[in-house]
Amino acid sequence: MIVCSRCSKDNQDHYKFCLGCGAELPRESSKPRSFSAPTPPGGTPAPGRETNAPQGLQVQGSQAEALASAPQLELDPMPVEAARSKPVAVEDPLPPELAPLGDETSPCPHCGSQVPANFRFCHVCGDDLHAEAAAAPTGDAPAERVSPPAVAEAPQPAAGRARLVLIQPDGSEGESFPLSAGSSLIGRATGGIFANDAYLSPEHAEFRFEGDQLVVKDMESLNGVYIRIEPEVPVELFDGSIFRVGQEILRFEGPVAPDPADDGTQYMGSPHRGYLGRISLMIGRQTTGNSFPIPPHGIHLGRERGDVVFPEDGYVSGLHCRVNSEVGHVFLTDVGSSNGTFVRVSNESYVPQGTFVLIGQQLFRAEY
Amino acid sequence: MEQARNYVCTECASAVPSGHKFCGACGAGVPTEAQTLETRFFGALQMPGKARLIVVRGDEAMGEGLSYILQATEHVAGREADQIPFPSDNWLSPSHANFLYRGEKLVVRDEGSLNGVYIRIRSASPIQIGDHFMCGQQLFRIDATPKDTSGPEADQTHFYSSPRRPSAFRVTQILEGGMDGIVCCAYEQSLQIGREDCDINFPDDVHMSPRHARVEMSGESLELVDENSQNGTYVRIRGERELSHGDYLFLGRNLLRVEVTA
Repeated sequence: MIVCSRCSKDNQDHYKFCLGCGAELPRESSKPRSFSAPTPPGGTPAPGRETNAPQGLQVQGSQAEALASAPQLELDPMPVEAARSKPVAVEDPLPPELAPLGDETSPCPHCGSQVPANFRFCHVCGDDLHAEAAAAPTGDAPAERVSPPAVAEAPQPAAGRARLVLIQPDGSEGESFPLSAGSSLIGRATGGIFANDAYLSPEHAEFRFEGDQLVVKDMESLNGVYIRIEPEVPVELFDGSIFRVGQEILRFEGPVAPDPADDGTQYMGSPHRGYLGRISLMIGRQTTGNSFPIPPHGIHLGRERGDVVFPEDGYVSGLHCRVNSEVGHVFLTDVGSSNGTFVRVSNESYVPQGTFVLIGQQLFRAEY
Repeated sequence: MEQARNYVCTECASAVPSGHKFCGACGAGVPTEAQTLETRFFGALQMPGKARLIVVRGDEAMGEGLSYILQATEHVAGREADQIPFPSDNWLSPSHANFLYRGEKLVVRDEGSLNGVYIRIRSASPIQIGDHFMCGQQLFRIDATPKDTSGPEADQTHFYSSPRRPSAFRVTQILEGGMDGIVCCAYEQSLQIGREDCDINFPDDVHMSPRHARVEMSGESLELVDENSQNGTYVRIRGERELSHGDYLFLGRNLLRVEVTA
């Protein structure tokens, strides 16, 4: 609770302005959790989304301790709780777009006005500065990486150099796991960097090349393989599709209704607003917790904005993703979250170069 | 000059005290109408112990404000019922509910209907897992917390579950057509329903009060509490329920008020 210094009204912790008088509230008390929440058990900032930094350098080191906790998970029956109770480092209380005016300015390429560095649009002419930034080639990222320098210098075709690069809790790159030109089976039984992850099945996933495309196959593992989706690129959801937002595992369920009774009586109930289906929180193998129906205009998910909020999950961005319908199909779209939205692979999937793959508790980047 | 105070024999003009069947003077019979004189009501509505149902909100075809006087011993309501018909409400079974007298008491019995009979609770009511209830336009079911299925595999692989908190029970919204809608697990022992700032919110339900009702678990038992909502909270009856003056019932889309004259 924040007490407004001007009118003494009690305001909730996440308010930025007083509900009673509109005065700006002290920011210190309005940051229960980090916005920039870099790395949950898997996840890095969206490439080129909120900063222009090359993709490989973006991971900000703060509470990726959750990742570091992977080794101890073996002993811990409720690692999720453990990860949650860990204090979340607060580095930057506001996302860049909401941060106050900084001292740094740069000239607008369109009209030349001095624009604060955190603006996405020029406040004088409205030019989309972000478009320029996004146009900057992010594909150069590998060239910036230094670890290990010998391997990452130049892009190489497929096999031989293909590897999974572990993204460490602090955002830096860790060990790599080489992928063979044929197929590589990974799992807890593989040992090495996979040995201590209690969330991996002994034989978890298989990577193989089809031509110059990397393909991952889920070997019917318990916890599956998740692939990070591109921001603002809709991915279709089907009945039973599973996706991950922060620490939350969510399932999309298509609309199902019982058959009407023989005598023509209809099932009574709350007004049905043409729901497209539901999203349900997975809390067990086939067990769901809270569920929300999806109205025809869709829903947004976020930590503090949207129709469905996860106020206690610091790994979810303020506004994280959207589920909506287009031409009769249901789509999931990441709206520029810091940690990304991950979709569980159903059987197998292509893994484009540079894709983030979440396996067990660990996050990897596929490079080839 | 005075008027004779009793029945006067038509044969001998003697006065016959009330209750006599024959004239004491001449033995002529007293007609039965004269023997059984009793005060009658102007209308059946005044009859003591008889109830009526007033349609507070009803079926378009039958209109609102209609009242049914329950003069017989059984009165069946339903989509195809003769006594209390609601022909255009497809939420009602053909024979939905029966209003009957058990001695002096009026009771309503669910005739095995698909959608049931709902009665407005007076402040608080015990409720069980599996029970249905209504707030505003919304229909809910109380469900038990499912068995935990997030344990590790035999091969010691741990299951990754979303974060969850202990919850004593959950409330599921039931949508028209029978599909489940919102599911909300109680935060520990209590769950609040209303238009805003509750655990489950219906900002566009104009019949819902801001804080409408809550479900609470105390010890092993659940209680449904109406928080002085404007339109009340209704619970589905199991089998049969005694009614009293002022009770409100929902049969499908129809809201009925029970009036029992003393």
